Order: sequence, then C-alpha cells, then structure tokens
Amino acid sequence: MAPASEGTRCARCRAPLQRPENGNIDTAIALAISALILFFLSNAYPLVEIQASGSTRATTLTGAALGLYSQDHVGLAALVFLTTVVGPFLQIAALLYLLIPLRGAREAPGQNTIFRLLAQVRPWTFVEVFMLGVLVALVRLSAYARVIPGVALWSCALLMLTLAALTSRTTPGQFWRWVDRSRS
Amino acid sequence: MNAAPTGRSLGLLVCLQCRATVRALHVAYPRCPRCYAHLYERKPHSLALTAALLLCAAILYIPANLLPVMYTRTIFDDEQDTIMSGVLELLHSGSWPIAVLVFIASIVVPLLKILSLSVVLFSAWRRSPRFRSQRSELFRLVEFIGRWSMLDVYAISLLVALVQIRSLAFVSVGWGALAFASVVVLTTFAARTFDERLLWEAPP
Repeated sequence: MAPASEGTRCARCRAPLQRPENGNIDTAIALAISALILFFLSNAYPLVEIQASGSTRATTLTGAALGLYSQDHVGLAALVFLTTVVGPFLQIAALLYLLIPLRGAREAPGQNTIFRLLAQVRPWTFVEVFMLGVLVALVRLSAYARVIPGVALWSCALLMLTLAALTSRTTPGQFWRWVDRSRS
Repeated sequence: MNAAPTGRSLGLLVCLQCRATVRALHVAYPRCPRCYAHLYERKPHSLALTAALLLCAAILYIPANLLPVMYTRTIFDDEQDTIMSGVLELLHSGSWPIAVLVFIASIVVPLLKILSLSVVLFSAWRRSPRFRSQRSELFRLVEFIGRWSMLDVYAISLLVALVQIRSLAFVSVGWGALAFASVVVLTTFAARTFDERLLWEAPP
C-alpha cells in the first residue's frame, strides 16, 4: 500500500487518492456541536421578513418546504425539506453519535450501518445551494418589497461554513483511520 | 498503455464505503472486514442503471424547460415564468450577475450534466481508449457542480413561502419545478451509480 502522503494521486486518472491526516477527533466533535447549535438556531428563528404595502411576512427554513406542501406539491416539499432540514440534521447527529464514543476508543452500537447511512445522506445536504437560492429570491423580491434578513439567515451562513469544515475533516478515509486506531 | 498495476491485476478490491483495500476472496458475497459493507469489483449494473436514470432525466428535461415553474398573481396582472423567462426577467430588472448565476446553475449545468454523462457513459460502454483522463476529469467536474442546479428550486420555494399576501400578490409553484427538481435528483443518482473505473477498462 502506498504511504498516505500529501497529494498521493491515482497513477491512472490523477484523482487524489487518500487525503492526508486532517485534524484530530476533538476538532471534528467541536465542529459537529457548533453545527448542531447553528442548526437549531437556523430552524428556530425566521430566515427573512418582507414588508410590502403595510403588511409583513416572514418565513423560516421549514417554512420554505411548508409553503410548497400547502400548495399540494408534496414531492417538491419533501425534497426541499430533506435537503435543507433532514439531511444536515442526520449528518450532524450521526457524526456525533459515532465520534463521541470513538473518542474514548469505544465503538457506537451499529457503527458500520450508521456510517453507511451517513455516506448516503451526505450528498443530499444542500445548505450552500440553499443559501444562494435565498440570495436569488431576495434579489427578485427587493424590487417589490423591503427585505429584512433574520437571525436564521446568518446562522445558516455559519452552518454552511461549519458543515463544509466538518465534512472535510470526517471523510470516510479519516473516519476509518480513527476506528483502526481505536481497535489497535 | 499504463505500467501501474491495477487492483484487479493484483487480486485486490477496494471497499467503496470505507476505502479499505481488501484481498479479493472468491466467495459469493464478499464483505469488507473493516466495515462489513458488500464488496464489488465494480458497482453492480452500473452501466444499465446510469443509462436508465440518465434517459429519464433527459426526458424530464423537456417539461422542466417548457412548463412554467412559477405563477405570479398580482392585482395588476397574472404572470407565468419558465426557468428561462425567470432568467430574462432577472436580466431586465438590472441584476445581471444574479441572472448569469441562475442561467449557469439552471440552464447550463443540467444540460452539461446530461450531455457529459451521456458521453462518459457511451465511451465506457464502447470501452473507448481515447481521452480517458479528460473523461475522468469531466465526470468528476459534473459530479461536483451538479448540486448547484437546485438553486432555482430553492429560490422558488422561498418566494412561494414569502409572497402570500392574497389580496396583493400571490406566488404559486408550477409543475415545471417538479420536473426540474427531478432532473437534478435523477442526474445526481446517475452520477452516483456510475463506476468511474469503467472508463479505464481494456478495449474489447
């Protein structure tokens, strides 16, 4: 087996092979806890509020999915809900469930299944795309209404960054390196 | 063409879940000793699954672009927007950077994704030996940028949630949005079921 050094690449297709060691497990747990807090903030507070001709209206993260649901677009509502609420939550919760016992060199019950689930959920976390979508919607609205950013808009932006940092620190390669280390 | 030994030639498998390198055992359903996931030399039925998902996506791409994605009802007029007319409206309202962004995310990326995946799939099926590195690169690029096409779906969902002042303005979703979201989901699955290593099989 080739040593896992910086920039090891596939001899055939030049894809990066194994990422080098990236931070310790404590950093990952800290990031996951921050992400969890930011996730709750993002869901508890309104995302944006608009004011037009005397009336105001605000929406939350789940409000975006609920609006679609109330118009009988269940499929779309489910997709938006899964990618902006369920996906990030499952990802953070699964990582915390796996990493906290692993820190004390123990393995969480059902570790392999949960990690496989995590790998399935991961590509469906679209927080960064959602943030840009919010921006596009606000630009469209700004011509007609006064737009007031809410607390959740900021916490969502931070969640996006935290999740990116968390994901890059808990790649499958890295996670299983921690597992190997705790087993030996 | 390449001197480097492959896992297959050395009798090794890589676990697609935990990236462990495992000696291939000739048993019916080998599993990874580290994470207990099923082991495959190549993702099972990769070409057929990718082709089926891609075909569905290509068909749905038509209604996604022709059907309205959003209806806007105000006291002055009724409007319906397709993906493209939404981009044009953004352009006319003066926010051209956003218009370019939406144009790339909603028009260019899905089309590029369907076309590139078709090229990659076709050449993998033909086992064509030419431009392999470039096709690998193309595939990875498509996998990376594909998610951004969800942009417009989120923008619409937010507009729907916010603009509900019934007497003044009312925004509702059109079926085009569902078709569009389906294209994104189907192409994402298509990219996931495709085994990149099939691009490197020896020609028949």
